[in-house]
Amino acid sequence: MTDALPDRSDAIAALEIDRVGKIFDVAGRRVEALRDISFSVRTGEFVAIVGASGCGKSTLLRLILGLDTDYQGEVRLDGRRVKKPDLNRGIVFQDHRLLPWLTAEGNVAAALRRSGLPKSERRQLVAEHLKLVGLENFADAWPAQLSGGMSQRVAIARALVNRPRFLLLDEPLGALDALTRLRLQDELARIVRHEGTTALLVTHDVDEAVFLADRIIVLQPDPGRIARIVEVNLDAHRDRSAPAFLRLRDEILGTLGVRPSPRAIATAA
Amino acid sequence: MSRLATALLVPALLFGLWSVSAAQGWLPEQLLPAPTAVWDALAETAVGGDLSADILISLQRVGEGFALGALAGLGFGGAIGLSRTLRALFDPLFLLLAQVPPLAWIPLVILAVGIDEAMKVTVIAWASFVPVVLGVAQGIRDVPEPLRELGRALTFDPWDLVSRIVFPAAVPAIFTGLREGLANAWQTLVAAELFASSEGLGYLISLGRQLFQLDLVLAMVLVLGIVGLSVNGALALVERRLLRWQAPAS
Amino acid sequence: MSEIACPPARPAWRLALPPTLRPVLSGLVVPVLLIGVWQVIAAAHVVAPYILPSPAAVLARFRVELAGGTFRGDVVASLSRALGGFATGAPTGLAFGLLLGLSRLAGRLFGPIFLAYRQIALFAWVPLLAMWFGGGEAGKLAFIALAAFAPAAVNAWRAAAAIPAPYRELSKALTLGRLDHLRLVALPSALPGMLTGLRSSLIHAWLATVGAELFLDIAPGLGGRLNEGRDKFEVDLMIVALTVLAILGLGFSQLAATAERQSLRWRRR
Repeated sequence: MTDALPDRSDAIAALEIDRVGKIFDVAGRRVEALRDISFSVRTGEFVAIVGASGCGKSTLLRLILGLDTDYQGEVRLDGRRVKKPDLNRGIVFQDHRLLPWLTAEGNVAAALRRSGLPKSERRQLVAEHLKLVGLENFADAWPAQLSGGMSQRVAIARALVNRPRFLLLDEPLGALDALTRLRLQDELARIVRHEGTTALLVTHDVDEAVFLADRIIVLQPDPGRIARIVEVNLDAHRDRSAPAFLRLRDEILGTLGVRPSPRAIATAA
Repeated sequence: MSRLATALLVPALLFGLWSVSAAQGWLPEQLLPAPTAVWDALAETAVGGDLSADILISLQRVGEGFALGALAGLGFGGAIGLSRTLRALFDPLFLLLAQVPPLAWIPLVILAVGIDEAMKVTVIAWASFVPVVLGVAQGIRDVPEPLRELGRALTFDPWDLVSRIVFPAAVPAIFTGLREGLANAWQTLVAAELFASSEGLGYLISLGRQLFQLDLVLAMVLVLGIVGLSVNGALALVERRLLRWQAPAS
Repeated sequence: MSEIACPPARPAWRLALPPTLRPVLSGLVVPVLLIGVWQVIAAAHVVAPYILPSPAAVLARFRVELAGGTFRGDVVASLSRALGGFATGAPTGLAFGLLLGLSRLAGRLFGPIFLAYRQIALFAWVPLLAMWFGGGEAGKLAFIALAAFAPAAVNAWRAAAAIPAPYRELSKALTLGRLDHLRLVALPSALPGMLTGLRSSLIHAWLATVGAELFLDIAPGLGGRLNEGRDKFEVDLMIVALTVLAILGLGFSQLAATAERQSLRWRRR
């Protein structure tokens, strides 16, 4: 299962994860976080990585972003090894990580510091992206004045404002309440479609992965490795209660070692 | 380069510069005596003079003053921290008095209790009193409301509430106050001894100044640093024992 | 800033007063009582008036000093000394502390010796500085500047070294340059600590001003007046000088607190 997708992706693969492994040194002990991870992401694809906490999925995202370059194997972008963060990869962290001393607008604009664009164009881009996440009226608000969901929207705007080729999402909705979370999943689907960006989502929420992704990479822990890769062939308009949706979800939950509830099985059947 | 070597690099360079400057006579001896002269002065006071007696008397003054001030500060700080009424009554006056630098009281205290031990202990006690009160009162007021709620949910009586929840939660802030109080006590001791004394480390410094013996002054500055470091270290040790439940600061 | 807690039940007699006046009035109760006791003792001639002058005598002295004496000159002299030393020592301290906190090499080179220097009681430097700079204005200013230096340096160092790792990571993810990182992330993050340092530095400058005036050559200033009061056994003069010291100190604290609030408005909700 670990050598999935050998043939059809090679031609148009934009991001390649090639036999990546990562070992941490925790207080003198070697802890293997990732082992032999290989997959590739095609342009325009939405890929989700799911797994229990501690399976190394966030670590993997940090390697892809280029925050950590001390690992085995290779992360390649258009055939070139990733060496450091670049504006062609935008990231949304789980903690929204807005700078509390900058307004919503200022936070989004901070991502444009290295864009080299003239001021007027930057302002335009910031306004556009705040509008994209529905916060055009909160441009002057401080992060302390925003709710968790709003803060995460600003973070999404910040990640997208450079029009990156890749949008990396590190459990972006993990800290939100269930209702806000569902709403933002819809939003995220819309935004990614609108921007046409390639997205890589790390999450422990299987529903979220099935709802958003075209392909799901299921990780298992100790050490983190690929359990299987699932293609999601559902409608573009996904229905969270459709039998096909539930079947796929239960299948993935099964892989993760969670027995689906009898009722869910009944519905799915 | 190892951490220790890096840490010692700048002091070593400064020391080297000092030695060379003394050897070459770049500055007159009255402005910067040679390291050897400082060492000699230190040895002379330690062996021939009574350095240990001076250290002891200084430590005794700090000890007495700090003990008095800290105890009173714990009591008063606890009172205005726990009681809204007492706080409303006494806080403004206390804050106003606390604005006066402790050593500004020295001249008045001299008139009141004379120039001897009582003056030093009083001023040192006041100097340590102020930060302890601030730390204790702040610590008690900042005890998180959820913790107090927990106490009420467990139907604690006022004594349990204070001894089981409020006080332990306020301990870090109390220690901040105590540490600052000790630092203030130490500062004030030196000031008081400089101002009016016939023994103690501060006296030796002012003696050095009067005799234009900069080597003695520098030697005593060195001793002050070492004694101050040990006193602070002792308090830090106590603090670490009492605050074992806190995650170690990395 | 949690000012949202429910108001506690108050005795009914206080409800009649406007809320802004309440703390002022209750705070006046004890001082007024004390002054009353003082007046009674002074009027009863239990203590000789040269040891404890009556409140009226102190007030009279205050008027005399304000009208004809050098008092205004003394206040101005003390204030300008304090501010002069602060203006020299505090910015130098901030810069030094930031350097130590932001550059690991600088921190390792200068940190230990700075910590060692901090162990020496401030007033131990008085004789040394007096010999180097003389006991006049230069010596006083040098001492005040030295007093203002350390608190600013310590706090700036601590604050700059404690910039949260997530923020530093964000800086990398946004590929911010050194200058942008400093301006958008490091300095704002260290700002609260730096302001604490400035406040502490102002208090120390004030303390050192009084110390310098007490210990060094006689010159116009409040410390000098305190010494004069002791020499001439004029307790009324000393009480006047101490009161003015207290009021000026309170003014400094208020000033620093206001400045702090103004620069940290992003913290408000």
